[in-house]
Parts: sequence; C-alpha cells; structure tokens
Amino acid sequence: MARQFAYYPGCVAEFSSKELNRTTKALAPMLDIELLPMPAATCCGAGDIAEAKPNLYLTLNVRILSQAEEMGVDIMTICNVCTLNLRRANKLVKDDPRLLEAVNEELVKAGARPYEGTREVTHLLWFLATEEGLSLLEKQGPKGLKGLRVAPYYGCQLLRPSSVMGFEDPDQPQSLERLIRALGGEVADYEAKSKCCGFPILLAREAVALKESHVALSQARDSGADCMVTPCPLCHLAMDAYQRKAEAANATEYNMPVLHLPQLIGLGLGIDTSIMEFKRHMVPVNNVLEVVGS
Amino acid sequence: MPTSTFDIFRYQPDTGPEHFRQTYELEHDADLTLLDAVLRLQNEQDGTLAVRYSCRSAICGSCACRADGKTVLACMSQVEDLKAQNGGQPIKVDPIGNFEPLKDLIVDMDPFWEKFKSVKPYLVPDGPAPEKERIVSKEAMQKIYNESKCILCAACYSECNSLAADADYVGPAALAWGYRFAADERDGQRTARAKLYSGEHGVWDCTRCMYCNERCPKGVDPRDAIEKLGGIAFNEGVSWADAGARHAKAFLISMRTGGKLNETLLVPFTNPIKSQLDLPFALRMLSKGKAPSPIPHRIKKLDEVKKLMKNVKETI
Ligand code: SF4
Ligand code: SF4
Ligand code: SF4
Ligand code: SF4
Repeated sequence: MARQFAYYPGCVAEFSSKELNRTTKALAPMLDIELLPMPAATCCGAGDIAEAKPNLYLTLNVRILSQAEEMGVDIMTICNVCTLNLRRANKLVKDDPRLLEAVNEELVKAGARPYEGTREVTHLLWFLATEEGLSLLEKQGPKGLKGLRVAPYYGCQLLRPSSVMGFEDPDQPQSLERLIRALGGEVADYEAKSKCCGFPILLAREAVALKESHVALSQARDSGADCMVTPCPLCHLAMDAYQRKAEAANATEYNMPVLHLPQLIGLGLGIDTSIMEFKRHMVPVNNVLEVVGS
Repeated sequence: MPTSTFDIFRYQPDTGPEHFRQTYELEHDADLTLLDAVLRLQNEQDGTLAVRYSCRSAICGSCACRADGKTVLACMSQVEDLKAQNGGQPIKVDPIGNFEPLKDLIVDMDPFWEKFKSVKPYLVPDGPAPEKERIVSKEAMQKIYNESKCILCAACYSECNSLAADADYVGPAALAWGYRFAADERDGQRTARAKLYSGEHGVWDCTRCMYCNERCPKGVDPRDAIEKLGGIAFNEGVSWADAGARHAKAFLISMRTGGKLNETLLVPFTNPIKSQLDLPFALRMLSKGKAPSPIPHRIKKLDEVKKLMKNVKETI
C-alpha cells in the first residue's frame, strides 16, 4: 500500500513555483506515496511571522501539526523554510509539555483541534535519501540522468540549526549527492552548497542578497556543472528568477539552470518533461534536456 | 601515541606580504586539544607561529579559529575528534572568517568591538537609582539567560553569511547583546534600542543562514535573539520604518485575509518605490507565469486563524 503523508507544499510551491507542486504530485504515485491535501493549513509564516509575533507563529504551526495528527499521518514538505518552521514548532512543544498546554488552550479557544505531540515532519529529500526511498527509486530503473553534472545546492534551513533539523551533518551533507548518483548523474562538488542564497532579505536588502547568491552560483559554474538542484523553492527563486539580476549586480555570467529536486527525479525516472513545466523557469534548461535526451 | 598533521594558514607581515600555508607534524597524547597542539608547535617547532588565547577553558573566547573550515574554540576541540570527522586528513587550521588577518591565526577584532559598542551593551535604567540594588525575578532573568552566556568569541560572526556580503552588518553577537539589554526589565531604553537595532545593517539584514546558532559554542542562539528583537520592534511600534519589517507585516496581513501568503501584497508592500522601478523584471516574471495571482487564496477554517490572531498575546 502506498505510504501516506499529509502534504504541505507551502505557499511558494502553490503560487509562484507551481511547477514544483505539479511535478511532486506527478511523481508521488511512481514513488508509491500518497500525498493527502491539507485544505485548512495556513502558511508557516516563513520565519517572518516568528520575527514579528513569536507566540502567534508557534500557535499557527502547532495548528498545522494537529491537522496532520487528526489525519493520522506525518507531514511531508518540499520547502526548506516550511520544514524548519514546522519542525521547530514541533520540537518546542514536544520538549515542553507546559508550553504545549498553553498553545492548546489557545487552539481550543479558537475552535481548533488541540495537538498531542505525536507527529513528525519530513522533507521529500529526506524521505528519498534513506534506504527505503532509494529502493523505491531503484524499482523505477532510475538511470536517466546519463552523466548529467549536477551541483547540489542545499541552502540553509534544511541543514541548520542541526538541533532542529538533524537529518545529516550540516557541514558534510550527502543526501542530494546520493540521489544524484542514484539517478545516474555526476556530482559537481563545490564549497558553497550549504551557504545562504539570500532569499529572506531579497526584497528588503536586494544588493546584499545578490552578493550572497553570487557565491553559490559562481562556484557551481566554476565546478563545471550543467545545472544546480535545490530542495527549496525559495532558493530556486533566488537562484533562478533572480539569476539575471545577480549577474548584473556582480558583473558576471552564470547561465546556470536550476532544477527543483522533484524535476531532477522526474528527469532521472524519465517522466514527460511537459509535466515539469521548465518553461516557467527564468533560466532556460535546454542544455540539461540535451544531455538527458528528453 | 598518535601523530597528527596540521596544515596551518600563515601570514607574517614583518617578513612578507603574502599568505602561505605550512605543514607541521606532531606526536601527541590522545587527549590533546587543538589549542594545545598549536601551542606545542609554537614551543617546540616554530616560535613565529602566532595564536591568541588566554583561559584555555572556553571562558575567555580568545582562541576561536577555523578547523577544517568550521569555526570552533581551539581549546574546546580535540585533535582526535577532528581527525575522526575528516577521515584522518591533515587538519586545516585557519583564522576566523569575516576579519582581516593580522598575523597567522590572529585577526583584527576592532570592527567586532566597534559593533559591539554600537549596540550600547550596558544597562541604561530609567529614573533615579533605588536606595539598594534592583531586584530581578528569576523569570525575568530566564528571558535573557541564553544571551547572557555569550563570551564574545566571534565564532558566529566568523561564519555569518550576511556579514560576508555586507561588512557593515552589525552581526549576530552584537545583536544578541542588544536583545540581552532590550529585554532586561531594569533597562529603560527599550523603544530607543528597538529603533537603534532595526535600522540599515541591523535586525532586518539577517539572512537567516542559521550559521550563528550552529556554531556558537555557548548555546546563545544569536539568530533567535535577532528574531526576538524583531518582535520587540513590532511591540514598540517602530516596525514600519524598514522594508524588512514591512516584509514581515505583509505576512501578517496575508494570514489574516486568506491564511496563505499573498504574493501580490509582498513585493509592493515591502518595497513600494523599488517595485515600481523594476518594471522590466516584473514583466519577465509575468511572462513566466511567476506573477502572483490577483485573487488571494483562502484556506478552510479561516475563522480559527482570525481568532488566534486576535487572541494570542505576545509575551516578549
Ligand atoms: S538558502 Fe535561503 S531561501 Fe533557501 S532555505 Fe536558506 S535562507 Fe531560505
Ligand atoms: S582559550 Fe579561551 S576560550 Fe579558548 S581558549 Fe583560551 S581563552 Fe579561551
Ligand atoms: S542567521 Fe543571521 S546573524 Fe546569524 S549568521 Fe546567519 S545572517 Fe548572520
Ligand atoms: S554568540 Fe556565541 S559564537 Fe557569538 S560571540 Fe557569543 S559566544 Fe561566541
């Protein structure tokens, strides 16, 4: 039977980066997972609500966790920032029963279901980079990347703080590398794969943010990569949608296609490229499609 | 006895301007710290090797450096642990990042201290001093307990991604101290501090890379302190002045009106002038279907969210 998850795509994947949401949904049956919708879930606040109103952030995120609890399943995300916000709230109330009680009081007052603290939050990447996930891929004969040189880009919030995230060593992450190889690709290694893309301050401090994304984009280019892959749609916006701006700001060129993680998997498994909607990217991915022959 | 190899960053401005690397070997006991290793090299092999230290027990914060690229307190790091992590390679030792080297592992800390001073890291009580001491409750101290543990070692500053892109950013340690005083009930400058910290190069310049929380050897969690300073800025009503704060405000409005982020609101709200000037960029986004939908999303059970937004009190 397919493994069920409460699916939490996050706002960006539902709106600006629809291609990510659609590709993930198309992949799910091939990976033997069922993604159950969460129609009453709010935005996680992206760290912004936490920065303005910390108690509200916590209560809203616990409300989401409780919805998954009611469904009897764990949450699966496809965004770094959602993962951190949900996991952090989960850890805070699991570690502190009195805090959970106080949050539940508010939830009940507002007519929402209280949380018992029984759910986990995982990212698609984490699910796939385990033995279980890799064997699911293996069943599909996943060698379609045909030696494509892929620069893994983790960004920040799926790795740090490790006290909340904890899937792998934040200084030597290997989950993306494992997937790239399992799909028949080659890893283009570079130092900045876990540095920040600048997205959180991209709107408020564009000049600073574009210097940040430059570090990863230029190193990925210099490593000879055909493309980058990221597990986070916010990183994707910073690296893809803002890439031309970063080029102008840093007086250089990257010409670096950036794939969402599920798109890379889709290419590896050979699903129809039209489903993955590469036309929605700002940087063309033609060179990638040429290598994999799609 | 194990033998270890150290690949150390060298800079000797008295003899030449160039940076170079030097390799040393050392036979040592199994429980040698990185600081003791460097001190033994200095004593036994190369008297010119420069390093800053004092307490040797993770209290003074002088000996921060990079071991295999990762900022640590040299006195808290075991050589054998480092080798276990890097697979037995030579241990790469470098000065901390985001600073100019002065000599070998010693950097010029002046900018760090200037920024530290700029947050007014001392109590400024309101009104005349009481006859005896100002008594503070345990609960009140608990609020600033984490931040009070800072030893100013700059391990956080060393790897701050915002600082790497903007040398004027005040940085994690100074802001953690800022919070420590802004949230101290004996202090009378809350509003002034909220203003001081939330200008250009302050609270809203943090890119949330989380390196400071990851690296701090004392559990200060500077990013969390910065987040709390944002909350204080909102509470003190100084939040509209900065684009970073308006960015957060846009999330709150979206939450109330639909439960999900309303991207239509986010860009013009955060940066009204810039978003008008950026028409070519906006059109490129539009042509890729990346323009936000004009109809905001509405989740199920939005009434729960509205009630929470009305009821939940901030205790910061
Ligand atoms: S890289 Fe940037 S956008 Fe991506 S998770 Fe980190 S902070 Fe967020
Ligand atoms: S060493 Fe200190 S923190 Fe480390 S060593 Fe010394 S002085 Fe300290
Ligand atoms: S989280 Fe903010 S303050 Fe901390 S290291 Fe990153 S950018 Fe700097
Ligand atoms: S916050 Fe932590 S890492 Fe930063 S200076 Fe203080 S003790 Fe060092």
